[in-house]
Amino acid sequence: MNLPDDGTGRSEAGTIVVIGVGQSLRGDDGAGLAAVRLWYATYQEKLIRPAVRMELAELPGISLLSLLEGYQSAILVDAVRSGSIPGTILQITEGQLDQFSSGSRSAHGWGVAETLTLGRSTVSEQLPRKIILIGIEAGQIKLGENLSPQVEQSLLEAARLIEQLVSEALDQA
Amino acid sequence: MNQDIHIPALARVEGEGALTIRLKDGAVNEIVLNIYEPPRFFEGFLLGRYFQDVPDITARICGICPVAYQMSSVQALEAALQVTISPEVRLLRQLLYCAEYIESHALHIYMLQAPDLVGYESAISLAADAPDIVKRALRLKKIGNDLLKAIGGRSVHPVNTCVGGFYRWPTVEAIHALVSELEWAREASIETVKWAATLKYPEFEQDYEFVALSRLEEYSIYDGYIVSTTGRRTSPEEFEKFYLETHVPHSNALHSHTAENTTYFVGPLARINLNFKQLRPIARQAAKEIGLKLPLRNPYKGLLARAIELVHTTDLAVQLAKEYAPTGPSFKEFKVRPGEGYGVSEAPRGLLYHRYVVDEQGLIRFARITPPTAQNFAQMEADLWALAPNVVKQPQEQASISFEHLLRSYDPCISCATHFLNLKIDYE
Repeated sequence: MNLPDDGTGRSEAGTIVVIGVGQSLRGDDGAGLAAVRLWYATYQEKLIRPAVRMELAELPGISLLSLLEGYQSAILVDAVRSGSIPGTILQITEGQLDQFSSGSRSAHGWGVAETLTLGRSTVSEQLPRKIILIGIEAGQIKLGENLSPQVEQSLLEAARLIEQLVSEALDQA
Repeated sequence: MNQDIHIPALARVEGEGALTIRLKDGAVNEIVLNIYEPPRFFEGFLLGRYFQDVPDITARICGICPVAYQMSSVQALEAALQVTISPEVRLLRQLLYCAEYIESHALHIYMLQAPDLVGYESAISLAADAPDIVKRALRLKKIGNDLLKAIGGRSVHPVNTCVGGFYRWPTVEAIHALVSELEWAREASIETVKWAATLKYPEFEQDYEFVALSRLEEYSIYDGYIVSTTGRRTSPEEFEKFYLETHVPHSNALHSHTAENTTYFVGPLARINLNFKQLRPIARQAAKEIGLKLPLRNPYKGLLARAIELVHTTDLAVQLAKEYAPTGPSFKEFKVRPGEGYGVSEAPRGLLYHRYVVDEQGLIRFARITPPTAQNFAQMEADLWALAPNVVKQPQEQASISFEHLLRSYDPCISCATHFLNLKIDYE
């Protein structure tokens, strides 16, 4: 028996990391993971590119910082709740994320925003210069492996956006 | 003050929960601690699954303590299927558990509880004033996660544990490469104990019944007998006879109590009070140097217990990593047969119990998971009642903070709740 090959190995040449964040047993909370998996499957032929790595991170909390370390740029894909229609894809810069991270007592203590804020204030030099978040608006969050139809339908668009951002990052690298 | 105190979401605990304190004529009338969804919901999710899928699924209950869920579940399933693991597998599982203790304790000590004790809103504001402290925490946590990844294949949710052993042995090089970092972590842990001793802990002591796993020959984390400060000693098979769960109307989580209907306390304080003699000498020495007196009956001082355990687990990890040299198969072949099995281990937050019934095809027919937070739940409420009379005289904001401090000292893990990034964006 072998470990599942989820592409989480890291090459020294890695300059760009794409990280799916979420909880795969919690309905649409798994959207970020599903989108990164779909991107990986759809654009696999391009993934020979040694500069691009993929990570799937379920409930990473502060461990997210370890996953980000050493790369020049990062694309995080996570489910979000912003009041939009389920399946809506949002592209959020780190600057935007930061301004909504402090003072929120409704999100549990260590979401992506808080973790990045902490990381920037302590180990910023080890983190990617550029971090972009792709948010996928969640619908249902019931226990179970299935995504809601609206979110499922949005995955291809999310995967395209990931690929577009990866290409842009490669051009700038 | 005649207003209710409602804390809609407990900040800086792992997961989501809420607390409401109702006052009547200025006195506390009702205390409702609500943990929205405990791991109980995972029990239904496991029914009909193949037993070998269980360790990977239960790991996803928590991002901080996935190993604990794996260790209790594989032990329960190995008991059900009558599988005996090799001594080498047991040693590697202990090393995996050390990894979890390192990353989890570093997180709790520095990021979740310490900000309360040094008067900061969060680790983010603490980092602004004391970046070296937070950097030490981040490096400790990273070392734990790196060890998790080396053994388990991933730094957050390890996928290498299976019923019967490991899918494959980690390479000797990968484990040995971490020894120097683990040695740094051991030094940092001793510094953590010294630093923890300088913090100011609120005065609050109760006469608790502590319950933890115990073994004569080692500080019990991976397995053992269930012992209590009342002198009770039970086997994992007897757990449900003496530690019961009941539904309460105000919460989705069950309340645990003893067969005598008393509350009890699991976690680092329980372990250190019951098993201090089994700690490794370097950890006992660290405790001695700060003048630690047992028993510790102040829940806030769970932080001290965690810091001492951090010394113990880093020291154990250094030894296990240095001596790691596996031979033979990493996985024991066995025949699937129907059966029932029980498993207990010490999650960083306390005793974690699993029970499974497996049918002749190896499918799960019954699952029970009793996590430490659920067991501490009634004790947390009892503490809130004890704390409340004085606290409710404080201004509402300060009162809320005081209640949260107490709850955070328990390190409740409610992480089976969702982990959304709640975004509010004003588009121009």
